[in-house]
Parts: sequence; structure tokens; C-alpha cells
Amino acid sequence: MEEQGCPRCKTTKYRNPSLKLMVNICGHSLCESCVDLMFIKGSGTCPECGTALRRSHFRLQLFEDPYIEKEVDIRKMILKDFNKKEEDFTNLNDYNDYLEMIESIIYNLTNNIDVETTKRQIESYKKDNKDLIKKNKSKLSKDEEYLEMLIQQEKHESEVQRQLLQEDEARQKNIKLKNKEALIDELMFSEMAAADIMASHRELTKVTDTSSTLPKKAATEFSTGIKLGAQDTFIPLSKMDAGELYRYEPTQVFMCGPKCLSEEELVFQGYLNHVRRASDIDLGGGYKSVMACQRALQDSFCGLYYFPNTAS
Amino acid sequence: MSLFLHLYVITPPTLSGIITSMFSTSSQLKYWTFNGETELAELRKEANQRFIQEHESSISIEKQAKYFLTPGEEKLLIRHFEFILREFCVRFLPPMPKYVLGTALTYFKRFYVHNSVMDYHPRDIMLTSVYLASKVEEFNVNISQFVGNLKGDRDKFASIILGFELLLMDKLHYHLTVHNPFRPLEGFFIDLKTKFKGVEDVEKLRKGAEEFLDKSLATDACLLFSPSQLALAAVLSSGTKESMNLESYVTGVLLKGANEDEMRKTVYQIKRIRYIVKNQEPLQRDQIGHIQKKLEQCRNQENNPESEIYKRKLDEMFEEEEELQSKKRARMEEAQKKEEQLLLGK
Repeated sequence: MEEQGCPRCKTTKYRNPSLKLMVNICGHSLCESCVDLMFIKGSGTCPECGTALRRSHFRLQLFEDPYIEKEVDIRKMILKDFNKKEEDFTNLNDYNDYLEMIESIIYNLTNNIDVETTKRQIESYKKDNKDLIKKNKSKLSKDEEYLEMLIQQEKHESEVQRQLLQEDEARQKNIKLKNKEALIDELMFSEMAAADIMASHRELTKVTDTSSTLPKKAATEFSTGIKLGAQDTFIPLSKMDAGELYRYEPTQVFMCGPKCLSEEELVFQGYLNHVRRASDIDLGGGYKSVMACQRALQDSFCGLYYFPNTAS
Repeated sequence: MSLFLHLYVITPPTLSGIITSMFSTSSQLKYWTFNGETELAELRKEANQRFIQEHESSISIEKQAKYFLTPGEEKLLIRHFEFILREFCVRFLPPMPKYVLGTALTYFKRFYVHNSVMDYHPRDIMLTSVYLASKVEEFNVNISQFVGNLKGDRDKFASIILGFELLLMDKLHYHLTVHNPFRPLEGFFIDLKTKFKGVEDVEKLRKGAEEFLDKSLATDACLLFSPSQLALAAVLSSGTKESMNLESYVTGVLLKGANEDEMRKTVYQIKRIRYIVKNQEPLQRDQIGHIQKKLEQCRNQENNPESEIYKRKLDEMFEEEEELQSKKRARMEEAQKKEEQLLLGK
């Protein structure tokens, strides 16, 4: 990527990080110091293309590409005159043609294609639609009106909210003051113990405190009119189908033979008297003689009832 | 036992020690227990026919019967090599537990249910079976130790075994867990000692029962019956030899909960096992030499580690692999270069 820099003094963003590029209507950029130097008189020509420029027309270059800068400039200028709205056309096709015409004009001007004819076209358009342009300039489109209205509404609402809050605050202050006075009165004239009075008083203020808070109305929509959290209503969440809950089922042992005894039964019925005793080392490793005993028995029972298909 | 411990550790104790690797849910029952000897014989015949059909084109039809092995000859040869396998395992150093032998023989038998002897020489498969079984059964022997038990060119044997190992596993469909009848036998001894008072010295039965199981290994019993039935048959056969009456144990204790049909069928199965084990045909050694000579002629040279074709195939495989590797490397280099150019070029 090429470094952004001033074409005249060749300063780049790298060498001077505070470099500010300016751009004028011709779409060629210059750095701030060059502009200062060259347009000391207030006007001059562009060093690139020789267009006559005014210093006041220089503005900060927003986009890296000066071409876009130029295009935005021209678009702004064109749209000032070509301000017809959709309502001004009888059908959609006409409106689309109109939009396309605008685009082609902008394109021609930014790319310096048939500048003269294009300019003539603009002039004639201006002449033909003089009244409409004037009228539309003062008139806001329906969308804009709606937005305006929404903003107004919001402003109004926030104003009301603010007022309510203020009132509430004032009232609370009053109550506090009154409470305080009542407390002092009571302390002065009552015959109860001071500690009791304080305690009952504290309870009272607590109650008033909690009740006095105003129920706050949460904002329900953005200034654009989109409801807060509206996406819930637009896109219903697809219900998650979690399927059936897992249910544990004990493993079924398919023995294909007589039933095998459990470890406890093996111990109880004295099977262990006939197998090798587990040594200390075996026990340390987690081995019990009943395991080997059960496995051997299981193996001898398992498959006893195996019969091939042909056996009768 | 180490396998058992391992399994126990990973099964939650709430299952109260029920082991999930049982015969009733095993691949052995599902894929490698056959209906009967006729089914086995047919499968073997099919394998034999398949091989002949694939290699028939090179030979005239009249000569076929003389040239190729018949299913009967194949059977004889397989039994001969089963015998050698057992001898090899018994003499193996360090001494080998019985279940390794059982597993190795089972692999060997399973392999030749679907494959012809002419396709893969039983000598190669036999060695590989034992080697694989020793691994699966956690009898730790490395390959140099293993071939130390062999006479002759040990490096050659090592390369044969390692070369056929993957093939063997593939042909077994990776069903490597084998349920042998040895542990069930122990189970029956424990059960007899605890539950049956009709015999004084149960240990007397051990010798006869183990002999019976040894004999059963020479038959197809492990492809036809469940290991527990084999073990029970061994116990009962030993009981008859020692003239102990174990009938009341079977009907009164072991199968007490069984219904009539189950009882009858189980007894029938036991009888069949005893018949099969008892009535084995003797090995016909005098024919073996002739069959082996015939085999040398008709065997598939592509699977003969000593043949030129085999060596060439192996070389090609390596070359292909190397070629693939180098192609891959070149492609990667190219891609990297392009990337660098993209980075630098613009």
C-alpha cells in the first residue's frame, strides 16, 4: 500500500504523523502547510490540474482516496438541485430512471467524461424544474417528517420525565424536612425515652423512603422509532427441541447360559475358599480375588446355551 | 490377568464386576462360530474353487485336478501345520501360556476357512499367527526373541512374519479377541469345589480335562462350539475317565435353572464335542511330502516370499510409496514457492 502523502511537498504520514491532508472540489489533495503557502491570497490554481480554487473551499480529507472525496463533493452539489422525491413520480420506473440519471451525472463529473454536455444537461434540468426544486427545498420528505416527529415526541417525553423527577425530589425533601421537625418536636415534648422515639422514627422514614420512589417508565423505543427489544417480536426464537430426557437403564447382561452370581453372593457362598488369595501387593493394586473368581465363573456359564441353527 | 485388571479399572464399579467382553456378545460368536462341519467344509471348498478359477487360465482343464490341491489335500496339510504349530508353541522359550497357543491356533483355523492353502503357504501363516497371538494375549516377546526359536535364516523368517502380519489381521477382519476354553475350565473347577459335594478331589479331574482340551485343539471344535461348552465337555470327559459321576452336577447344580429344551440341547452339544474330539482322523504323514511338492508347483507365487514376483511386488510397493512421497514433497515445495512469490512479488 502506498503511503499517504502530499503530492507537492512529498511529506508522508510516516514522516509527519500530524500531517493533515486537505481536498478541494477538483479532488486533488494537498497538505495543510502547502495550502497555507499557496493560497496565501485566498485563491489559486491546483498544482495538479490547474483548476481555479478558493482557499475557503478546502476541507479536511476524510477518505484515504481523494477520488471518493471528490465524488462525495459532487454528489452533495448535484443532490442540492436534483431533489425530487418518490412522491413526485407517477410510477416506480420513472423514479428509478431519475435515480439512474443522477448517478450517471455524478459518475461523468467525477471521472471528467463529457463534462460540458453533462453540465449543460444539469443547467437545462435546473431550468425545467425550477419551481419544483424550490418547493422541494423547503419541503421535507415524509420520512424526514416522521423522524422529526419522533424526535419531537422523545424530547417531549424526556421533558415530562424530568419534570416528574424534579417534583418528586422536591416532595421528598419536604417530607424529610417535616419528619425532622416532627422528630425534634417529639423529642422536646414527648415523655417517651429518646431511644424509643428514634427507633420508631427511623421505621417511619424507611417506609416513606421506599414508597416515594417514582415508578420509572423505561424507554420503549429508540429515537428512530424502532421498539426496544423489538427483535423478539420480529424473529420468534425457534423452540429448542431437547428430545426426551435421558433415563438410566441398567445394562442387560446377555449370558446365553445360566445366571451368574454377584460378587456378594460369591463371597457369601464360600467360592473364595477355592481361589488363590490376593496378596498384599495385589490388594494394593486394587485387585480382589473375587474378581478373578467371578470372571472365571462368568466365562464358564456364558455361552453354555449356544446352539447352532441346525442342531436339533 | 493383566487384561482383566485393565478392563476392571475402566468399567465403573457399580456394574459389580460384570465384564462386557464376554463370548455371548463377541465377534467370535457373531462371525467365527459356524453352524456345523458341513458349513465349514463348504466354505473351505469355496476358497479352494475360487483360487483354482482365478489361476485356471494358465493350465488346461484335464491337468487341473493333478496340478491343483483338492480340498481334502488342503485339509490334510492344514492339520499337519496345526500339529507343527502346537509343537512349536510347546517348545517355545520362554514358556508360553496355553491361551496363546489356543489363540494362535484359532487364528490359523479362521484364516483357512476363507483362504486357500495354495494362496498363502501355511508355514508363513502359522508363524504369523503365533506372533500375532503372543501380542494380543500380552505375552511379550519381540521379533528377534521370537525368531530365536526357529532354525534357519532368522532374518528371513522375521521379514516373512512382519510382512504377513497385517495381511493376517485383515483377513481375520480384525476380530482379534479370542475366547479360549481355559478360563471357563477354571470356572467349572471353582464351581465344582464350592457347589458339588459328590466329588472328593476335584483336582483329580484337571489332568484329564486339560488333555481333552489339548486334543480338541486339533479339531475344528473352536469354530463350532462356545468355549464354555468345550470346557464342560472336558470336565465331563475327565469325570468318566476317573469314573466320577458328574451327571448330578450338570443336571442338579449347573443347569438347575434351565428349561427342558435348553438342558437337552446343551447335553447334545456336549455329546457332539466329545464325539468329535474322540473320533479324530489320524494325521497321514506319509502323504504330506507329496502334497507339499504339489503345493510348490501350484501355489500363488505372488504370495511366496522367496519368489521373484513377490520381491518385485514388494519393491514396486516401496517405489510407489516413495514416488508418492516425492510427488507430495514437490507439490508442497511448489506451493510454498508460489506463496513466497505472492508475498515478495507485489
